[in-house]
Amino acid sequence: MGLSRREFIKRTAALTAASYVGMNLPFTNEDTAHASDADSWHKGTCRLCGSGCRLELGVKNGKAVALRGIPQSRTNMGYLCMKGMLFYKLMGTNHPERFKKPLYRARKTDPFKEISWDEALDIAAREFANAIKKYGNNSVAYYGSGQSLTEETYIFQKVMRGGLKTNNVEGNPRLCMASAVGGYITSFGADEPIGSYSNFERASCFFIIGSNTAEAHPVLFRRIMRRKLDNRDTVKVINADPRVSPTSRIADLHLQFEPGTDLALLNAMAHVIVKEGYYDEDFLNNYAVFRMGKDKKQVGFEEYKKFLEDYTPEKVARLCKGNITPEKIRKAANWFAKSEGTMSLWTMGINQRSRGVWANNLIHNLHILTGQLCRPGADSFSLTGQPNACGGVREGGGLCHILPAHRPVKIDKLRHEVERLWGIPEGRIPPKPGYHTIAMFEAVNQGKIKAIWINCTSPAQSLPNCDKYRKGMKREDVFMIVTDIFPTKTTELANLILPTAFHFEKTGVYGCTERRSQLTVKAVDAPGDAMPEVWIVREWALRLAKELKDPVIKKCVEPFLGKEPDYELPKAIWDEYTQKLTKGRDNDLRGATYEVLEKLPDGVQWPAPTKEWALKGGTDIKFVRGLDPLADKHAKNDLPYQFYGPAHKDRKLWVWLRPMKGPEEMPDSEYPFYLSTGRIIDHWHTSSMTGRIKELMRANPYAYVEVNPKDAEKLGIKPGDMVEVVSRRGKNILPAKVYVGPCEGMVFVYWHDQDEDRMINRVTKDAFDPGSKEPEFKICACRIRKVSGPKPLKPFLVHMKS
Amino acid sequence: MKRQLLKLSMLVIAFIMVTAGAAIAAHPELTEQEKLTPCSQCHKEVTPEIYKDWYNSVHGLDNVKCFQCHGTYENLKASPDETNCAACHNAQYMKRPKGKKCWDCHPAHHFFIHK
Repeated sequence: MGLSRREFIKRTAALTAASYVGMNLPFTNEDTAHASDADSWHKGTCRLCGSGCRLELGVKNGKAVALRGIPQSRTNMGYLCMKGMLFYKLMGTNHPERFKKPLYRARKTDPFKEISWDEALDIAAREFANAIKKYGNNSVAYYGSGQSLTEETYIFQKVMRGGLKTNNVEGNPRLCMASAVGGYITSFGADEPIGSYSNFERASCFFIIGSNTAEAHPVLFRRIMRRKLDNRDTVKVINADPRVSPTSRIADLHLQFEPGTDLALLNAMAHVIVKEGYYDEDFLNNYAVFRMGKDKKQVGFEEYKKFLEDYTPEKVARLCKGNITPEKIRKAANWFAKSEGTMSLWTMGINQRSRGVWANNLIHNLHILTGQLCRPGADSFSLTGQPNACGGVREGGGLCHILPAHRPVKIDKLRHEVERLWGIPEGRIPPKPGYHTIAMFEAVNQGKIKAIWINCTSPAQSLPNCDKYRKGMKREDVFMIVTDIFPTKTTELANLILPTAFHFEKTGVYGCTERRSQLTVKAVDAPGDAMPEVWIVREWALRLAKELKDPVIKKCVEPFLGKEPDYELPKAIWDEYTQKLTKGRDNDLRGATYEVLEKLPDGVQWPAPTKEWALKGGTDIKFVRGLDPLADKHAKNDLPYQFYGPAHKDRKLWVWLRPMKGPEEMPDSEYPFYLSTGRIIDHWHTSSMTGRIKELMRANPYAYVEVNPKDAEKLGIKPGDMVEVVSRRGKNILPAKVYVGPCEGMVFVYWHDQDEDRMINRVTKDAFDPGSKEPEFKICACRIRKVSGPKPLKPFLVHMKS
Repeated sequence: MKRQLLKLSMLVIAFIMVTAGAAIAAHPELTEQEKLTPCSQCHKEVTPEIYKDWYNSVHGLDNVKCFQCHGTYENLKASPDETNCAACHNAQYMKRPKGKKCWDCHPAHHFFIHK
């Protein structure tokens, strides 16, 4: 340290004194413009997490200068987190590192050279066409993102499926939300939550499991916190997590269980609900059936009761360890069942498990059993991690097994319907789903995929066990195109980097966690030659049609020809998707035209089949007659709830008999600790954006390993010591944070850091859920040891070599 | 004792600055390495009352951090721009009483809400 502690304190005291007497200090302001300087404000949606906060971008002389929340928005009510306040610093010419020209190298060991768009698009088309001619249609792949606009995901998948005849269309939501999709479909018959954020203000009990909402969804957490603070005695918060986190600060009851015992805990709560007679018999008789096994065999309530016999609170408390007692399980079940409205919230702690779908089912079970659904405050609500994982990827057809508007690829009727709507020959889209994410990168490793387009994501860092998959991405016989705005671990492995327009530099829709679609219209110019993805794909497809002499490829983009790329082109794509593809589907968005979306301060929740309904904001709660137009349309009886989801022909909610199943890799004598990973509030995913905002980088410049004080004492680890974290796959060396966060026997590492020594996905395991194919990021076995005392560290980001 | 000394030194410095008309003082100069320290890490020690007030406020509970109001080293303001408040509280900012600062009614670091 260049300054003695005493001196530092002395000088800081001066600062404090200055603040007490209300004086401003001199500063060198690098950001010369302020919010107060903005000469226009432009509505849009936050670029970062899945909350869907609405905000306005302040622009002065064509330059982005500030962001502020929109108070009338039903998502954030005007509030923003630090990321939402600051991401304008990445826009336009605000950041010098933005990609401005297409960059190309034939070999991955060569330096990049700037090329023109014409050259870049020719190369992209030629490489994909050559791979197809030589190795077949499934030798090419698209790997997209829950951060792409819906229009982008839609046009990419249309060209891949309808044009290139492959379902090798995947995206990073496979890594975060696939288990939630599987859970909703198998429990409720339809993807995405039944209710909305509006339940935050109506719930009397929050059951937060596997979610550090305070850091991963801070603006939504504010609403939960407000609800609790305003109703301290009547609103209960249960936080179930192996790690005590900032979310736990508002909890009345913290259930700290050993990693991987969550399924037993949830079954034990169901056991109490059944045993104590807390269940809602009428709700069960009217709306539910019980099922088990791969063949979805229907069983009776008695069989379910028998199944639960094995999950007594006493037995499960012994299994869960941590601070779990039978009394705590009983108390949690009681609060859950007896509250006027219970809202469950979860995210990656539940989804990123090798039985993530089952874990989702078991949360839904609790709601079905107690009838805690469809009424105010009662909801089984999965929080989404990315801003457009729901709208773009889950709804827009961005995964290998689904076509737009929740149509499974393998269902002939629905596939042919899509072909007809696109005006392409029947049979053009193959019936077999493509590679899911881990299988896709395994195929890259094996050289089965010869050309891959990675859009707006960085799998070289974000895949579990990433060293294994970086080997494939390094192969010289795998041509890699990457579209992005900044250098990342993945652009390091690319042949062709295409510079794209960033948020507010292009137009399009994001669909957030609560089925809400919101439009962001271009407000500032992209730097250099960066272009919107929709333009890139259209131009690429035209070249592909020539290379492959296939007019059907051109047909896929024909409706979009001649449209200017900043507004008309995305609007035409959105119109095709909503008016044609969502018509008659459960996510009917026909009322949510650009015109309607621009009129509203926030957006529209589907189903929204008409403009009139959309202008009212759409559907707050699905399946409720009088509140959901499709519930009225599809009503088969006089019951108030109509579960018309496309996946359950019996129109019932399914209570699943799902047994306890631990993680794929358990600690043992060689690797005695559980390793878990997660987000911190200041950073987003791989920190390629947030790491370039000075305030955010300084707030959390490196990843840490959190160690429980009891473990730290045993191993002689003190705060700041450098600690080696080793698994069967790789190792990291990180500074230690010693505090009661993770439970004893568990360590926790933030996953944003790009430094090779601190990039935790080199250590995590790539086991995945056999149903959802979502990897088990949250649990693997590791060992730790102190390697040295504290060391000065440098934050690290990938930069382009000049 | 240490805390009393610290308080005393703060008061003395404030007094000297006001009486001498020295309207400005700088944050202690930090190296780039030292700038990689979250504000709260040092301020927990050097301004414990402020830290405690913040930690127990709704801002502390919801992780609204120092830099969101005060900026970072290069643009640090002990008394923040009110437009920073407006990033989240724009409706309230627009209808604030004339001549009043946000913190005249919502004490800094406590942020009580009008009822």
